[in-house]
Amino acid sequence: MFRLAIKMTVARTGRLILTSLAVILGTAFLSGTFVFRDTINQTFDRLFADVFRDVNAYVRSTTFLELDFGGEQRAATPVSVLNTVRGVEGVTSATGDIQAFARVIGKDGKPLGSEGNGPPTFGSIASADSVGLWSVSEGRLPIGPTELILDQATATNGKFVVGDTVRVVAVRGSREFTMVGIANYGDVSSPGGATFALFDQPTASEFLLQPGFVDAILVEGDDSVSDEQLAERIDAALAADLKLETLTGAEITAEVQGQIKNVLSIFSTFLIVFSYIALGIGSFVIYNVFSITAAQRMRENALLRAIGASRRQVSRVLLIESTAMGVVGSLIGFGVGILLSQLLSALLKATGFAVPSRGLAISMSAFVNTFVAGVLVTILAAWLPARRAGRVPPLAALRDTALDTAGNLTRRIIIGLAIMALGGVSLAAGMRDAPIQVLGLGVLGVFTGILVLGPAIARPVALTLGIPIAKLRGPSGVMARQNAARNPKRTSRTAAPVLLGVALVTAFTALAASIRSEIRDTFGDAFSGDIALTVDARGFGGIPLSITDQIADLDGVAQVTGVGFTSVRLSDPNEPPALAQAGAGQRGVFVQTINPATITGLFDLGVTEGDLTSLGKDGIFVAADRATEKGWGIGTRLQVTRIDGAVIDAEIRGFVSGETSFANYVASREMFADTPSPIFDAFVYIKVAEGSAVDEVQARVAAITSDAGIGTLLSKEQFIDEQAAQINQILALIYGMLALSIIIAIVGIVITLLLSVFERRREIGLLRAVGMSKSQVRTTVRWESVITSLLGAVSGVVLGVVMGFVVVTTLDDEGDIAFKVPINETLSIVLIAFVLGVIAAIYPAWRATRVNIVEAIATT
Amino acid sequence: MTTLPPPSIAESLNIAAHAVSASKIYVTGDSEVHALDGVDVSFEKGKFTAIMGPSGSGKSTLMHCVAGLDSLTTGSVFISDIDLSLLNDKQLTELRREKVGFIFQAFNLIPTLSAEENILLPLSLGRRKGDTAWIDRVIDTISLRDRLNHRPSELSGGQQQRVAIARALASQPDIIFADEPTGNLDSKTGSEVLTFMRQAVTDLGQTIVMVTHDAVAASYADRIVFLADGKIAGEMFAPTAQKVLDYLKHLGE
Repeated sequence: MFRLAIKMTVARTGRLILTSLAVILGTAFLSGTFVFRDTINQTFDRLFADVFRDVNAYVRSTTFLELDFGGEQRAATPVSVLNTVRGVEGVTSATGDIQAFARVIGKDGKPLGSEGNGPPTFGSIASADSVGLWSVSEGRLPIGPTELILDQATATNGKFVVGDTVRVVAVRGSREFTMVGIANYGDVSSPGGATFALFDQPTASEFLLQPGFVDAILVEGDDSVSDEQLAERIDAALAADLKLETLTGAEITAEVQGQIKNVLSIFSTFLIVFSYIALGIGSFVIYNVFSITAAQRMRENALLRAIGASRRQVSRVLLIESTAMGVVGSLIGFGVGILLSQLLSALLKATGFAVPSRGLAISMSAFVNTFVAGVLVTILAAWLPARRAGRVPPLAALRDTALDTAGNLTRRIIIGLAIMALGGVSLAAGMRDAPIQVLGLGVLGVFTGILVLGPAIARPVALTLGIPIAKLRGPSGVMARQNAARNPKRTSRTAAPVLLGVALVTAFTALAASIRSEIRDTFGDAFSGDIALTVDARGFGGIPLSITDQIADLDGVAQVTGVGFTSVRLSDPNEPPALAQAGAGQRGVFVQTINPATITGLFDLGVTEGDLTSLGKDGIFVAADRATEKGWGIGTRLQVTRIDGAVIDAEIRGFVSGETSFANYVASREMFADTPSPIFDAFVYIKVAEGSAVDEVQARVAAITSDAGIGTLLSKEQFIDEQAAQINQILALIYGMLALSIIIAIVGIVITLLLSVFERRREIGLLRAVGMSKSQVRTTVRWESVITSLLGAVSGVVLGVVMGFVVVTTLDDEGDIAFKVPINETLSIVLIAFVLGVIAAIYPAWRATRVNIVEAIATT
Repeated sequence: MTTLPPPSIAESLNIAAHAVSASKIYVTGDSEVHALDGVDVSFEKGKFTAIMGPSGSGKSTLMHCVAGLDSLTTGSVFISDIDLSLLNDKQLTELRREKVGFIFQAFNLIPTLSAEENILLPLSLGRRKGDTAWIDRVIDTISLRDRLNHRPSELSGGQQQRVAIARALASQPDIIFADEPTGNLDSKTGSEVLTFMRQAVTDLGQTIVMVTHDAVAASYADRIVFLADGKIAGEMFAPTAQKVLDYLKHLGE
């Protein structure tokens, strides 16, 4: 039986390739993301190993805050420590290291590197010491307060040559420097597309951080003792009250490598989840192909049964065949995935994240994961069709056409609706208080229900969708409509990937549209100024406070206030110490920093209790629901630990609603006035004086900001739009998923159509014989494809809108979020489905015109 | 065997279709198979002609080539005065749609279309309405008016073939080709179908060329052309089943 199965598999190379295509597609995404992740990790591992090659020890502060997304912010180290370290026996040299915000302004006046979402823009130290991370490739090192050098990539991108004047914005404002050289980081021109402006240590400390401070100290030993011993000696020499620690070169290398991996893992985990979803959707295509081919070879299977093969043997032939396809498909898919990972790198490079590449990393685990997932999914998808094939009665060998029954429709409708209803209920429950798993089960239930229901609704819906086509396209249209409806199971399975993608996207778009209009209302009410200056760099850099003050002095400006963010550690003295103090590095929280003197009347933070002017140096406002959750009230005292380690005994002096504040905590900028890790503004709100024209004032503000090369000036309307648009970032991810399901859907439709064309070749031959032209044949295939695709899109939109409605109404306890059906997006989705149908039909339609009439109508 | 008139006067001699030195050669590996070997034949208008011959004699190939479904290796085929070798695929399609009708042995109808839609298919493919009175007459002749809205799967084999005949007749083609039209039918239904074909020629003035290996079926024709090894082996007018069987025996010797 095994040999027969192999022979039958090999005998149908075409079908083997078609089925494998679905497997290849699913596994290629998976292996592509695995290889991509491994390659980046390996690249950064090697890069940092190389960069820290000469570093034997690394001195830094023990005080730090962990930030979201795996980053951390650490307190500064005084420069005076450099001398202490240099005096330790076994130390050859020591140099300060700084990695702080600095933005290089290009020759066109626009900052280099993208704001916000792009790779970071750094200012750092370039030192003559051999332990410096930078090596000068052209010119010389910067000396004194007016010189800098740039990394190779930034110099090239900005078309800067040695001798040019370069403007840089950092915490101390905007300054011009003379570029005296170009440097490389390790042996790459720039790590990960970040930009670097490099200064000598005193300039860097003063301009980027705080005079007399660096972020850390890099130490090179004379190799007389081991790195561990050297670190111990340095530790012993450091004063305990400075709260410093010494790491070995190996430790800091591993830590930086780990941090990068952490940051990247969010991205790659996301990609991998998408790939598994893609494989899941792809399994529908595989299942569909097996179902069709099993039906097409019913006579062959019946013949096997008639000559004495058992049900089990017939099923086994199909399972062996599917295993072969899973193996072949997964192998090819893995290879295709390697190419895909290269494409992904190129794509990232095009969007500004240049990933330094050092060869491919193809790991065994990536291969095993892809291979196992691919083969398993294929076998699972083939399981039902294989069992069905075994049930073929031997008599079917004598029948002529392939049967594809939709089973008992009433039962199908009842079961499908029941599962959907259950799913809907758990969806609604999951939206309220039930755990996230209930929500997931709800989504799963709704989709399972629709898939069970699919074959029952496919025929009527396809026939309805086909009415205009039958009217407009004559007999070809009539036949397209009938063909789309003739195998309801097949049509609904083919449309399933479209349906899944469209339903998810519609639900999220509906949700987003509702939230967006809610945000618009909230911010429209809160912001009573005329102009807003924003910078999209939360947590790292921003608008130096000096610029905010400069704007306040302009003619025609009535009121200006800046709002920023910083991270602190909060501890509640009432909580058990074990929870409050879990090691030196604790999770930080965002605090919104404001200027209480100027904010009132310009931006409404939604104060529900208290007066912002009472904030002072040690006051704090808390979002009302957070305070309720924690049991805090007015007068509750919280320990606020700043990044530099200073502890402030703060008091809760009021509450905000939390809708227009961008963080759960609000403090005055005074609280951070004396920190060596300075704060920035992220938003500056401006009210124009009465009698002054808004555009004139805006032009004056623009003169300052473009001089500084920072921020974006927005009118009130634009600002509100931008706040509402934040939801679009999440939508972009969802649309990424739609793109994936589109690719899979196209392949699915192509495969189904090809199999249908093959199955109907006699019919096509007959049609050609009685006078159907090639273009009419193409029309028939094309419109069948469009109807199938639209079937998925239309039912997906209906399902998505219903799901979106359930989610929005459940989320909205107070009834202030109006449910909005995203009309434009929905129309675009239907249009995309239409185009998708046309594209998917191109090749199958061409194949249909190649049917040889005489061969097709030959009776045997 | 008739000597062939030059193509230009085919019309005046009442010829619906004819082939001149028609040859069809299939090359498989290094051996050549002459499916048709210099065949000259003409089919008269308003007559029922049968083509007979043992399997492999080239009778189906001849029909496919004359009907414009397949192309000759050398020689020419004419329908009325039109040289099929000069037509491209689009023109051939239109010719089949307008001037030719087909009846096959099996799978004659499109399963997704009703009987009526199947009958009107060649007309609607050309976006024509056709002669309504004529179509009504055809439908009455095959006496399937009460079955017009049925799908092929709801019709018996004989009924399906009658629908196929109606389709072939509906556009009043110059010539109808039938390829073993009764091959899949029992003898009673078969004779019913043959009677309809006979009627179409006698009463409706149509031209039918039928390929068959069944002597009884062939006896419904006005004339039989015998083919053997890709060549014309003879012909017979006003055949009876017995005469045909005798001739075939003689041909086999």
